[in-house]
This record gives sequence, structure tokens and C-alpha cells, in this order.
Amino acid sequence: MAKEIFMPKLSSTMEVGTLLQWFKNEGDPVAVGDPLFEIMTDKINIEVEAYEEGVLLKQYYQEDDEVPINHVVGYIGNPDEQVPDTPPGEAGSGTVEKEASPELAESIQVEPIDEAGETEEKSQTTEKLRATPAARRVAKENNVSLADVEGTGPKGRVHQADVEAVGTSKTPAATPLAKKVAAAEKVDLQTLTGTGSGGKIYRDDVEKAKRPAEVPVAAAGKRVKMEGIRKVVADRMLKSKTTAPHVTLTSDIDMHAVVGMRKQLLAPIEEQTGYRVSYTEIILKAAAAALKRHPNINVSLEGNEIVYHEEINIGLAVAVDNGLFVPVIKNANQKGLAAITKDCKTAGKAARENKLKPDQMTGGTFTISNLGMYAIDAFTPVINQPESAILGIGRINEKPVGVNGAIELRPMMTVSLSFDHRVIDGAPAAAYLTDFKKMLEHPFELLV
Amino acid sequence: MRELTYLEAVREAMSQEMRENDDVFILGEDIGVYGGAFGVTRGMIEEFGPERIRNTPISEAAISGAAVGAALTGMRPILELQFSDFITIAMDNMVNQAAKIRYMYGGKGKVPMVLRTPAGSGTGAAAQHSQSLEAWMAHVPGLKVVQPSTAYDAKGLLKAAIDDDNPVIFYEHKLCYRTKSDVPEEPYSIPLGKADVKRQGTDVTIVATAIMVHKSLEAAAELEKQGISVEVIDPRTLVPLDEETIIESVKKTSRLVVVHEAVKRGGFGGEIASMIAESEAFDYLDAPIKRLGGKSVPIPYNPELEKSAVPGVEDIIAAVKETVNRQ
Repeated sequence: MAKEIFMPKLSSTMEVGTLLQWFKNEGDPVAVGDPLFEIMTDKINIEVEAYEEGVLLKQYYQEDDEVPINHVVGYIGNPDEQVPDTPPGEAGSGTVEKEASPELAESIQVEPIDEAGETEEKSQTTEKLRATPAARRVAKENNVSLADVEGTGPKGRVHQADVEAVGTSKTPAATPLAKKVAAAEKVDLQTLTGTGSGGKIYRDDVEKAKRPAEVPVAAAGKRVKMEGIRKVVADRMLKSKTTAPHVTLTSDIDMHAVVGMRKQLLAPIEEQTGYRVSYTEIILKAAAAALKRHPNINVSLEGNEIVYHEEINIGLAVAVDNGLFVPVIKNANQKGLAAITKDCKTAGKAARENKLKPDQMTGGTFTISNLGMYAIDAFTPVINQPESAILGIGRINEKPVGVNGAIELRPMMTVSLSFDHRVIDGAPAAAYLTDFKKMLEHPFELLV
Repeated sequence: MRELTYLEAVREAMSQEMRENDDVFILGEDIGVYGGAFGVTRGMIEEFGPERIRNTPISEAAISGAAVGAALTGMRPILELQFSDFITIAMDNMVNQAAKIRYMYGGKGKVPMVLRTPAGSGTGAAAQHSQSLEAWMAHVPGLKVVQPSTAYDAKGLLKAAIDDDNPVIFYEHKLCYRTKSDVPEEPYSIPLGKADVKRQGTDVTIVATAIMVHKSLEAAAELEKQGISVEVIDPRTLVPLDEETIIESVKKTSRLVVVHEAVKRGGFGGEIASMIAESEAFDYLDAPIKRLGGKSVPIPYNPELEKSAVPGVEDIIAAVKETVNRQ
């Protein structure tokens, strides 16, 4: 009876062996102890010797083939014995001796392929569906049957994205009127996005869908996936704008005195720090000083509680390629203009070079966004949550204003204070802005 | 801001605390004129004298016993063990005494001490000087366990550890000693139990400790080039553990890879993985949680083998790719 030659398992970690060369050809006589073939494991090369005497009947694998352990590599037997043309099905590990018994060898010869086919089928029908918890959650939320979803993960595991790709069979929430209109106009509610709470579809939404789609401005064009900092900025701005009721107050400030003060301070501050003091830093100093007097602006909403911050840490919005960073000047009210200038300049540089450390960006309690270098007079800044207020700075521009009954040209600057009306009311915000304006119009107060 | 090495940050934290509080003193082997095995206390004896920078006999049992006693009498000792491996010799005092005294005496005695000790492999110090045994300590109720990865964190966390009224094990990774970061001159404290998001990301969360934080950040930078956005969280303290930050991150990214140098089997990574599996983040998991840890071998002396015994940047990259199904 022909005997199998197995790929030996030579170490606890060995899973496959690479056949390097055969020392015998099919038909060659083999004696016990003759080297049959050489294999390479992940550790060593070794010659495999024959345990049986006879003729090498079959070589199933050629040089450089990788063979899993305990798989049949060939047969030894009498010259007239029949062996399968293809290697018999997988032999379980640890059953080498058993499988070498004549009965088993016979059964393998008779129907190896059927057996393999059957096990495969069986495994398909009895195997539990593989899906990640996230996929199960999303499927449940959207009434999708996981059995209908083709998993792209290992062994067909269903991921969240696979469920989302199938789409949702859930009927979207819609008002009865919207449903009626949709049925009459043959509009598929599934294709609509509702504008109501929780995405509820109103009649308007259905009618909008009926109208011819607007012609796209440009059909072609570069498309860039929104990711990294762009995505972060997008998500945070959307969240801020949709969760905080923004109210924006504006005020015109006569910067005449600040212009003069900056001229006087330029040389001493540059000498001390190596940086030229800019309007931004003077404005930041004034904003911080005014916050000190108005602690009800220096607040955050955390859950159900209003947090009154002890520190006055002012973030400075800095535009970078494709996004926005907000380095934070800590304890700005306690620092002199020279220190603030130095902090702003180094933080701005770090932001533009993408070298800001996390602790330089956290802990802010108020933000300033300065567009004064552009031809912008006023704008509505979006609050940098969890802060509750943000100050937008426009350009300084000469404008005719009334001074003591005469019209004069004065360097005017418009500032816009957006605040979260859940936490701050209009009057205290206005009082803050008024104090801030006064400080800039009499900037030497900043020194005391 | 000026930069300090991790080693200098640890020294500065101790010096500032000692100037501030006469009860704080340091004890350990060769920490005086020699400056300690890694030079952390170098120069301190000149300022504080041998009374407060106390050289001890070569007996970790004696050092830890003396520290527990001193702490009970109202001092705030910092003991330095030359290598964290030798904690085995201090085990009875740490586990059976320091950790329990406050509890057993109903709060009437407290043990405000810090055991500082260099841990980890990578310096060719072989099997008995290269282990990461923090999970042992984290298992014991009553001990706090700190593992800073940056100079900034080391200074702030050491101040918090010294100020804490309970025994704290403060692991300093040997390979972190030479790393630098911005460190403010004034004393500051980082609360124990507050994780730090070292890098923001959206596709997968890596929770890494000690030197693995640096390796994970390196891996994250490489993965970003391949379009995979990785969030790296350093818990900084294992006990107390900032569960919330990790849970929130996993809810955001849906995927978790935990990386530590300590042997994976029985390591603290298993604790973090279980914590996530038990939390509300479970329903957000979109891949099996992956743990990377050291192989179950004593750290080899041979430098190449030593490197291969613990997770490397390539291993982290491969684990993340597997987790995001992008092999």
C-alpha cells in the first residue's frame, strides 16, 4: 500500500516549508534513510529522509513551491500502485500517524475532491455572519439586514462602510402633507434631505426636489477630498454655527491714539524683543484688559454649566494653507505689550510652519480674528467653541467722522463681536465692546 | 520657550519642589556625587547637601522601607531605583506596605512618596535591566502609576506625583531621557489621570505609552502620507486612567490600536482594550481591537534582537493598516 510523504513540522512556529530540491525522481527506488528532498523553513534548510522503502511514486510539488505542514508531498509504494493525480486534501495537523494508515490513504484516493468541496460548502452555511459592532449598530439604525450586505473585511467581515454603501431602507420621516405631495408628484422620499428637525421632510422639500436642478456653474474642475485640518475646521465651524446662536455686534473705533502710541512703542519694543509691535498685539492687549473687567464674557458652556474662566487666554486665528490654526496667548491680561508681541510673533510663525504644540492651541477662553490686512471693514466671525465670544477686526481706514461739530478724516476701524446668546446677553456684550472701544481710544489706560 | 531634555525636566521638577518644600528629599544608590545611574540627580548634592540627597546602601528593600517610614512621619521622599527591574526587591514594601497603609489605618497615616525609576529597553542593558513591569504596579490598589513620554509631561507630572499624598510609581523610559520639548521654567502641575491627545486624527486611535508614543507619532506621520489619519493618545498615567478621552476618541475613529513596550501577554494594553469593549465605544468599533506589545522573551542583549523584541514603527504601521482594512 502506498504511503504518503508529508511536509514535516520542524518547529512550533513553522506553518509552511519551501521545497528546494528533490533528490529522487518519480520511479526511483528509495531505501529507508535516503534523503528524499530538501526544504527551507523560516529558520533552517534541512533534508527530509524516507521512512518507508519502495519506489517514489509521485511528486506533487516542484522546486520553490511552498507546502503547508502535514500536507502530502508525494507517495512511496510498489511500482504498480495507483496514487491520486493531485495532492489529497488537507491533512489535519497532529494526525500524521493516523492518516498514514492504509484505510485512510484509500479513502483519500477515492474521493478527495468531493470531500474538500463538501467541507467548504458546510463552512459557508454554518458560519456565523461576521460584522463589526459599528456595522451592526448602523445596520440596526437603518433597518438594513446584514445578510444583504457584502463584507469587504477579512473573511467577509461586514464593516460600517459596507452597510452604508448598501444604503438605507428606512423610510425617512416626513409630514403627512409632504408624503401626499410626494406620492402625487412621484417624488421618491428616499432621495430627499429634510430640512426639519431630525431631517424631517416638509412639503417645501418635496417641491424643491421637483424643480429643475440648477445648472452647475462648472461641470469640470479639480476635486480635492476634504481631509486633515480642512476637515477639522469644517466640522468645528459647522458645529459652532449650528449649536450656538450667534449674535454679532459692531462698533467703529477711532484708532488715532493707537496709531500714535504704536509709533512711539515701535523702537523700544523692537529693541527689546526683535519684533515690531503690530496693531493686532495692541488690540489683543486691549481685548484682554477689557475681559478682565467683564468676566461674564470670558466664559464657556460645559453641559449645563457656565464656566467663568480665571485665566484670560486669547486665541489668535492664523490662516495657513488650507486651514486655520488658533495659537493661544496665555494670561494675556498679565503680560506687557513686549511680551505679547513676542508671543504672537513666535506663535504665528509656529502656526504657519505647522509646528504648534497641542498645549499652544488649547486652553483659549476668547479669540481674535484679524482681517485688517485685507480690504475688509466688518464681518461676522464664527465662535471658536468651547469659547463663547470672538472678536473680528477690520482694517484701519480713514473715514470722515464728526469731531466737535466738524467733519474730520480719522483712522477708523470696525470691530465685530460675535457671542453665544445662550450664555451671554446683548447688554453685557455691548458693555464689553464699549469698554474695549474706550480703551483703544485712550490706549494709555492699557499701561495702568 | 526654552527646550529641555526629559532628564533635565525631571531634575528641574525635583529641584523646584525641594526649594519649595523642606520635607521633600531624595534617596537612592549613588545619587549624590555620582548623580545617579543616568545622571538625573547630577549636581543636586551641591545645592541641597547630603542630608537631602541621600546616598543609600545597595538594598532596594532598605531604600523603599526607609521611604515608607519617612513618608509616614510626614516627609515627602523621592526614591530613585537605578533600574525599574529592581522594583522586585522593593516589592514587599511597595505592594504590602506603601499601597495599603492609608487604607488600613482609616486615613490616619498617609504615604506621600514617589518611586522614580528608569524602565524599558533600547540601551543594550540586557534582560535584567530592560524590563517594562508597569502592569504589575498598575494591578495593585493604592499605587498610582505614571509614564510620561515628553519632557514637558515629565516635569508637570512629577510635580503632581510629589504633591500627591499617595505612593506614586514614576516610570522614566531610558530612551526618553534624551528627547527634548518646550518646558516652561516656572513650576506647573499636570493632573494625574488626564490623557494627552498627542496628535489628532479620524481613522484610527493609537493609545501608546512612554517611548511608544514617539514611535506611534512617527508611524502616524508616515500613515498620513498614505491617506490614513491617526489619532495618538498618551494616557500619561495608567492609574488613574483617563478612560473618557480614550472612549471619546474610539467613538470618533471606530478603531483602536494599543501599543506598549511591555510584554503583550498580561500587559496593560489588555486593560485598555477591555475597557473599550466594556464601554459605550463598543458599538462604534469597526474593526477588532489590536494590541502591540513586546514578545514573550527576556529582552536580549544583542542589539538587533533587542530591537525585534519590542514593537517598532513598521509594526505599528502594519497594525494600523490591518485595522483599517488597508493591507
